[in-house]
Amino acid sequence: MTNHCCGPGYASPAEAMTAPREKLLYTIAIYTGTGIQKPDYLCTIDVDPQSSTYSQVISRLQMPGIGDELHHSGWNACSSCHGDASMERKYLIVPGVRSSNLHIVDCGTDPRNPTLFKVIDGAEIKARTNLSAPHTVHCLGSDIIVSMLGDAQGNAPGGYLQLSKEFEIVGRWENSMGSIKFGYDFWYQPRHNVMVSSEWAAPNTFMPGFDLEEVGHLKYGREIHLWDFEKKEPKQTFYLGEDGLIPLEVRFHHNPDSSHGFVGAALSANIIHWWKDAAGDWQWEKIVDVGNEPYPEWPIPIPGVISVILLSMDDRYLYLCNWLHGDIRQYDISDPHNAKLTGQVWMGGLLGRAPEVNGVKVTGGPQMIQLSLDGKRLYVTTSLFSTWDNQFYPEIRTNGGCMLMVNCDTENGGMEIDPLFVVDFGKEPNGPSRCHETRYPGGDCTSDIWV
Amino acid sequence: MTSFTITLANQGGATFDVDRRKPLLQSLREQGVDLPYGCKYGGCITCAAKMISGNVDQKAQRALNNRQINNGYIILCVARPLSDCTLEVGVESHDKLYRNPFLDPLAAHELKADIATPLEDKK
Repeated sequence: MTNHCCGPGYASPAEAMTAPREKLLYTIAIYTGTGIQKPDYLCTIDVDPQSSTYSQVISRLQMPGIGDELHHSGWNACSSCHGDASMERKYLIVPGVRSSNLHIVDCGTDPRNPTLFKVIDGAEIKARTNLSAPHTVHCLGSDIIVSMLGDAQGNAPGGYLQLSKEFEIVGRWENSMGSIKFGYDFWYQPRHNVMVSSEWAAPNTFMPGFDLEEVGHLKYGREIHLWDFEKKEPKQTFYLGEDGLIPLEVRFHHNPDSSHGFVGAALSANIIHWWKDAAGDWQWEKIVDVGNEPYPEWPIPIPGVISVILLSMDDRYLYLCNWLHGDIRQYDISDPHNAKLTGQVWMGGLLGRAPEVNGVKVTGGPQMIQLSLDGKRLYVTTSLFSTWDNQFYPEIRTNGGCMLMVNCDTENGGMEIDPLFVVDFGKEPNGPSRCHETRYPGGDCTSDIWV
Repeated sequence: MTSFTITLANQGGATFDVDRRKPLLQSLREQGVDLPYGCKYGGCITCAAKMISGNVDQKAQRALNNRQINNGYIILCVARPLSDCTLEVGVESHDKLYRNPFLDPLAAHELKADIATPLEDKK
């Protein structure tokens, strides 16, 4: 298959899998909440095994101010714009969750040394849209939308900020939030005219840290929402209850004809699967249930806390991280109703199964992951969110986070931590920092959507 | 009186005169104190400081639960002084701010104000 278009991305998931191997990663790193009075920054990491700087941070782009808490990021364009020759995957939108600033970073002009192109001030976003706390960024074939988890005062449910492709504020994207209580992640599948959104909590609830007791007071989410994507309004809610406490990352199959999708319920430590049945009705079920682990001296057993899930580009494997237990799991979901555990590795975590990996003390647990387009290399970072890190892994203040790579067997299943790759963020020039989400210049397994 | 004196106990006892009408974060930063902050509306806890003595009005804060308040924490980005205060600032003051909720649960009266159960009088 050849690329007949000159727009960004790939004609199909299958074509994406044949793309050249990634040579650079963009990973955010934070000082917010660490005691180091420096801005958060975007790291460029060399992942070309032939390079003399392999497995090292080769450039750092500081944000203009302190206290942003960089977290997730998204491209200005993806495969949804593949047919549009005027579009280019050049800019990474890097929000600050706490400041609400949106940093537009030019990664295209010099991919090894990204530069700051523009900042959309959080105060302007609040004033014009009454939204704060940006999280997930997806491009929509032209414009860009960002899930915003709060109103300007940090109350739920927030909404969706729409930006033009020139990074001007258009306004609120959604026509209605319906009865949605909270926002978090979202993914859309245009051939089914559907978007699915999940629920963390109000910024005023999750930002200061995690009070478990607030779950019982309904301060955290337990529902997911199916939207009429064209009408920009929610049309159906699944109440997941105890099976779906704190549903976070949302992933549809990459195959644009598929209606199957998945969400990781962090606190219940379950994977929820949804699909459209033969009658055209949407259904859901639980397909993975990670048990809580007792800890001798603690009154409450520890849940896995599934902080992220990800699907391989061929939709065959689902990966999840149990941030508090310390394991990454690989499931074969060729039959999405029957997930089969095919691989597992340990790094960090509270259970003490792998306190040190590749000579680095792993502080935190496996948290954000990004998979190569061919499905063979999974890059893993260990920090979740500054205040939550401080509660569960206080030593991260002095040790920093780290990035590891896991080699994935795409034929038979299975995972192994690569013994040669480690980026120790405890040794950063300005002091120990913490790494979170990663993107590849050519697109990755959580950025691209096909229309 | 339009100003109060703020003493930073963990910055060598440095003192600053601050306007009682302004949030402490703003007043101290304007006088060159390098302090952490995030949201600047009282919701995210990044700027929390520990009050050793004094009184503040921090009605606008939404970040602290009652245990944190009982441990003396205040949210500098919205707290306005009601008296002279002595504070510990920065993450060095956060020793009691963060807690593993599985190891050390909150009692019902220690939750945030909007959901806390009032502590009943013991007979």
